[in-house]
Amino acid sequence: MVKVKIVSWHGVASWTWDAQDDACGICRQDFDGCCPDCKMPGDDCPLIWGTCNHAFHLHCILKWVHAQNPRAQCPMCRRPWDFRAS
Amino acid sequence: MPYDAARVQKELVEIERDKASGVGIEMKGDNLGHLVGVIKGPESSPYDGGTFKVDIEITPSYPFEPPKMRFITKVWHPNVSSQNGAICLDILKDQWSPALTLKTALLSVQALLSSPEPDDPQDAVVAKQYINEQETFRSTARYWTEAFAKVVNDDDKVTRLVEMGFGEGDVKAALAKCGGDENAALEQLCGGS
Repeated sequence: MVKVKIVSWHGVASWTWDAQDDACGICRQDFDGCCPDCKMPGDDCPLIWGTCNHAFHLHCILKWVHAQNPRAQCPMCRRPWDFRAS
Repeated sequence: MPYDAARVQKELVEIERDKASGVGIEMKGDNLGHLVGVIKGPESSPYDGGTFKVDIEITPSYPFEPPKMRFITKVWHPNVSSQNGAICLDILKDQWSPALTLKTALLSVQALLSSPEPDDPQDAVVAKQYINEQETFRSTARYWTEAFAKVVNDDDKVTRLVEMGFGEGDVKAALAKCGGDENAALEQLCGGS
């Protein structure tokens, strides 16, 4: 029996958004990347879901919602866009 | 410069990869804001066999605003202006969605060629003819396709003129002198012999 003593260790973790799709339908960048205005993926450029279950970069869908008058539709399914409470 | 150059570049790569779709995009220099779309006329329509060019302007607000599309090639169609090529298509106006792309927009324009909407016309004269004189409409649309949308390359012109009995060298010289105009070259070949 060999005894092994652990002197030090590096923890490595990976993360991914659980979006059921690879890329944002608005900017076409990977969900695990960020929107065209951001540099760092992750909490700085979060995803957001609509009540229709379609996900986008928060920054991308906000631009679309603000550009639509009076009522924005989901870019994917055209249902009225409402943010889903997380 | 478009708002999202990375997205436009991605779209160009995708459309280039899918040659079978019947639509394509050509660059005009290195300006991503101004492109030329290419649409093959749909089969079993009067536009079959034609290649139609579409001027595409991408505004700084793209993809939050639709790309501006207009036919460069003349088209006889109820939803296309026979004067300036303006296209009447809902997804290029209030039904645009940022999830649509240049490719899906061009495919929609191609589908419009197959299925005119005479109740929402861009060209009232063409729409009236489409409703009242289907046969005349089809033959005019067919004629415009032949006259304006056929890409004829120089080899085809040379072959045709050589088949008429002229020498290949004379044919090439005549075509060069007439700037590639087949009929003018033929006249010159006939006049010179």
